[in-house]
Amino acid sequence: MRLQLGPAKPATPVREVLHSAALALLLIPATAKAQSAPTDRIDFSSLLYGEQSRTQVIEPMVRFTHLLPDGQSISAQLGIDVITGASPSGALPSGSVQTRTSASGRVITSPAGRIPLAPFRDHRIAFDGEWQKPWSRYVTSTLGGTYSREKDYQSLGLNGKFSTDLMRKLLTVTVGGGISRDTVFPVGGTPLGLSDGSIVHRGSNDKNVTNVILGASRILSRRWMVSINGTQTFERGYLTEPYKVISLMNLATGQPAGELTDKRPSTRNRSSVLFSSVYHLTDDVIYTSYRYYWDTWSVRSHTIDLKYRHALGGDTFLEPLVRYYQQTAADFFTIGLPQGAPLPDFATSDYRLGALRTITVGGTFGFHPEDIPGEWTIRAQFIRQAGNSSPPGAIGIQRNFDLSPPINTFAVVLGYSFDY
Amino acid sequence: MTRTGRQICRLIFPLALLLIAGCATVQPWDRDLLAQKQMSFNPSPMLQAVDEHIYFSKEASMGGMDAGGGGCGCN
Repeated sequence: MRLQLGPAKPATPVREVLHSAALALLLIPATAKAQSAPTDRIDFSSLLYGEQSRTQVIEPMVRFTHLLPDGQSISAQLGIDVITGASPSGALPSGSVQTRTSASGRVITSPAGRIPLAPFRDHRIAFDGEWQKPWSRYVTSTLGGTYSREKDYQSLGLNGKFSTDLMRKLLTVTVGGGISRDTVFPVGGTPLGLSDGSIVHRGSNDKNVTNVILGASRILSRRWMVSINGTQTFERGYLTEPYKVISLMNLATGQPAGELTDKRPSTRNRSSVLFSSVYHLTDDVIYTSYRYYWDTWSVRSHTIDLKYRHALGGDTFLEPLVRYYQQTAADFFTIGLPQGAPLPDFATSDYRLGALRTITVGGTFGFHPEDIPGEWTIRAQFIRQAGNSSPPGAIGIQRNFDLSPPINTFAVVLGYSFDY
Repeated sequence: MTRTGRQICRLIFPLALLLIAGCATVQPWDRDLLAQKQMSFNPSPMLQAVDEHIYFSKEASMGGMDAGGGGCGCN
């Protein structure tokens, strides 16, 4: 074969087309690769929660996230809680067996000297949606909506956040807020507070929650980031727990002589400040945080959280965790009210508003199997919660009982994430 | 301002100054570690959400990371 090379001819439209076609063929693999980058993600988690002799919860959740080419993302999450078991009614132990019937008609018997429990069964369905949009290289907004419904409670909420990067992206400032319009409609009607429970109204009760957040995070070095978040929450409306009771105590013997319903103020302002730090060692990462919380019910709390992510190679890691929590009692918390004495404006015996401590130990194991796509995590936690077993207000027979026995809880969360 | 409020302010101001003033500048090409997924304050949002739900139902406190509203009759 003989080739004759002549002088270059001016490009014709046909040549331009062929040239463009050849270039396009060369670019197809790169373009196809870019187009095949994951744009969707599915996260799945399932909680198995069990308190010793009390509440059991199963909570599966699934979250779908779609990434748009311009950096926006849209996500939707569905969660279902199935809750069964029993929780402390608020009543004091007695020297004899106590029997209690729940609002739904279930009966539970509490042995002598034990905290009476109230049985319950409920399920909750929750739906969350979120839209995140970057407005520029430095500004991002997030808008979300929430809806949840259970047998006696409904919540509808909106929330939003606005973040901006400053100082060459060394500092990020976030401002956000949320509102929630909740409705409480207790099974069997709403009892009058601090009554024997016989007076009820059948309507629903409103509870409005407004929440604001101001936060800042700062890169301090190549390995270290810290942040401060302050939140303020305003709750207005029906904040009482309709199923909890308060025992009337016989002043001479301490024996329960009757029960009154719970009654709490209709306003509560909550504040919290959270300090967080993330530090990268050679391969491992240390997470630490401290939160101080206070509210207008006189509850103060300290929470310390520590996690250590130990890299095991590839995407596999082991992350032990420890959490310590301590709170003071609400100013209207009481173990019981003296029989015959004038009633206070507000009172509760709900142990969650008493002085208590929670200690959590556990760990997360994360791995990425070669044969199966996606990331897996398993988190197991042991939670021990204890209050004041012998509070100063105990009189008579109550001094012989453990009025706040420790609650041991085991919780396992299985998580799975898959990009496609 | 209440005594607790003053205590909080004393705690916040030095830390806020630390956030704004900070230490050395970290150049964009030195942020390889910071760009990793695990270098986030909340690398597992779903696990975090599950934990917050557990503690919200067992304790009197709430708040911290997010600007959510109410949403649960469990407490």
